[in-house]
Amino acid sequence: MKHETRDEGGSVVVAFEGDVDLQTSPAAREALLAAVSQGKPVVVDLSSVGYIDSSGVASLVEALQGAKKGGQNLALAAVSEGALRVLKLARLDTVFTIHDSVNDAL
Amino acid sequence: MSNAPAVSVSETATEDARRFQANLELLAEMSQDFAANRDLDAALLNAVQHITDSVDAEGGALFLLDDAQENLTCQACVGATEITGLVIAADKGIVGRCVQNNLGEIVRDVSKDPSFFGGVDEKTGYTTKSILCAPLTVKDERIGAIELINKRGGDGLFNPDDLHFLEALAASAALAILNARQADALFEQERIKRELELAREIQSSLLPHVDDDNALIAGVNQPAREVSGDFFDHFPLEDGRICFCLGDVSGKGMNAALLMAKTASLYRCLGKAILSPGRLLALVNKEICETAARGMFVTMVGGIFDPRTGHVTLANAGHEPPLLLTIDGEFQAFEAEGPPLGILADPPTKEGYPETVIELGGGSLWVFTDGVTEGYIDDAGTELEVDGVKRILLETRTSGLRERLDAVVGAIRPGEQGMRDDVTLLGVIDPGMARPAALAEAAGADGTSEAIMSMRLPARADRLRVIRHAVRAALDYLSCEHEMTEEVILAVDEACQNVVRHAYGGRDDGEIAVELRRDGEDFVVEVQDFAAPVVLDTIKGRDLDDIRPGGLGVHLIREVMDDVQFVTPPAGVGNLLQLRKRLQKKSDAS
Repeated sequence: MKHETRDEGGSVVVAFEGDVDLQTSPAAREALLAAVSQGKPVVVDLSSVGYIDSSGVASLVEALQGAKKGGQNLALAAVSEGALRVLKLARLDTVFTIHDSVNDAL
Repeated sequence: MSNAPAVSVSETATEDARRFQANLELLAEMSQDFAANRDLDAALLNAVQHITDSVDAEGGALFLLDDAQENLTCQACVGATEITGLVIAADKGIVGRCVQNNLGEIVRDVSKDPSFFGGVDEKTGYTTKSILCAPLTVKDERIGAIELINKRGGDGLFNPDDLHFLEALAASAALAILNARQADALFEQERIKRELELAREIQSSLLPHVDDDNALIAGVNQPAREVSGDFFDHFPLEDGRICFCLGDVSGKGMNAALLMAKTASLYRCLGKAILSPGRLLALVNKEICETAARGMFVTMVGGIFDPRTGHVTLANAGHEPPLLLTIDGEFQAFEAEGPPLGILADPPTKEGYPETVIELGGGSLWVFTDGVTEGYIDDAGTELEVDGVKRILLETRTSGLRERLDAVVGAIRPGEQGMRDDVTLLGVIDPGMARPAALAEAAGADGTSEAIMSMRLPARADRLRVIRHAVRAALDYLSCEHEMTEEVILAVDEACQNVVRHAYGGRDDGEIAVELRRDGEDFVVEVQDFAAPVVLDTIKGRDLDDIRPGGLGVHLIREVMDDVQFVTPPAGVGNLLQLRKRLQKKSDAS
């Protein structure tokens, strides 16, 4: 798994690529919490995530809770088919704000 | 008048006969008294009573010398004054003088004898007029003395005939006392011997007894004396591994045996809960430091053997290095990495005694005490040494474990004084290729079932990717539909994650086994760990209203699969989670 964090239009965009699983989710969690700590709206780009497991989803949930606490928005964007499947199975697809693309989210 | 002398002779003869009879009776009574209840004090009291009556005295007392011959203690007393328990110096008073000179004496009038101790009379108000005293002696062995006070009737004074009579009685009494003491000592020796035999029996019952010729772990212990300071033990753990230990308590005899019993019990009790030999030794060490007698210590090796992997986790507290004999016939020794138990309360590291993981690889591990290496192998006093142990282990490579243990111990010859030291040896055999294939057994030979893939790998996060690929390949082989494939991959991943995260409590040397098969129309996945059994209640789906990190995995598994259950693992080892889902083939979906 790779990840990239960039500022775009006043938001922090975190993009992940590859599998977010038990081995890689700690790095994903760190990146997400660092993005939230900037105090700006956060957009998580999941377009290139082929696989995400419960530990990856848990990192997203933790980031969402952190953002809400700081009064920030955290949105998911361009969620891949694989990631969306897991979110739906976890019934979290309605908990997160999901946009079709990063641009829509900004 | 002419009859007078004849009458006198006759009276004397009668008196002699009476006295002879009295003496015989005394001997018989004392022997019987003592034999009846082995109570020497009671026998002595009876003897004093008998003697006092026979000599016709008002009172009598019997004094015995202590072992150091420094003091005389009144052991029995009859008459007007009670002085039982009175202790006087062995050279004081009339009785002391009698003992020192080994001569009987008659003090017709004590008021004229400077040795007379008037203290008792002062306290009791009794008036001692005359004393008769005779030593209790057998050959040259001084035992004490017997003292009589005041002749009954008349002027209360003793005459020389009384002294001769008392001396004869005293000699008999002395003999009886000595006999009783010797019988007592013999009896005590017998008692100690019986107790030691019992102790040996109990101690031996603390050691494991294995008759199984195919046992992978066995040991042997030969005490040099009745009881041993050496010990070994082995017992199965719930996760299928085997915990073992071998130790040597400093010193020999009963105190070593008691510390041995304590150490072995602690190890066995704690060993079933603490699945780490290093931490286990640290705990036992702390306990011994807190409570054991000073100056005693225990060298010890603790280990856990996993017969499925052939791995031994070992910790060594100051003990002889255990030997690994590899399948290639090479030896490797594992030196102690910590001091013996009972010396320093703080363990060598925070985690306890350092642990070494040894891969037996089809070889064997041998742990022994210095009684083995320092045992004599001939009458010239040649020691077996480590090289001798190695030689025997190599020579017996094709033999069974029990035979090999016997071969090593059999090489040591007891000398004239018996064995020099306790001899204790424990062997661990890794069956290697012949390891029980737990998962192979699990695969049903059912005609409708089709084994697809079986894998066993380290229970680590970085292997989850491998498992996902394998599941994808298996489902592809079964022409499984895309959506189901993705979901099942997720479910299996989550099941394996649980093992990686929780089964081994943070240890990273655990293993996970995954088997994939088709069972009729179902795709079946079995995920097995080899850890302690889980409490089923703790495995449950999370409350979805409570959105917290973690706890989601089980929900995902249940959401995806048709059936999820723990089943009894083959050989009762570890935990086996079975996942099942009706196959949806590509052609089915539309």
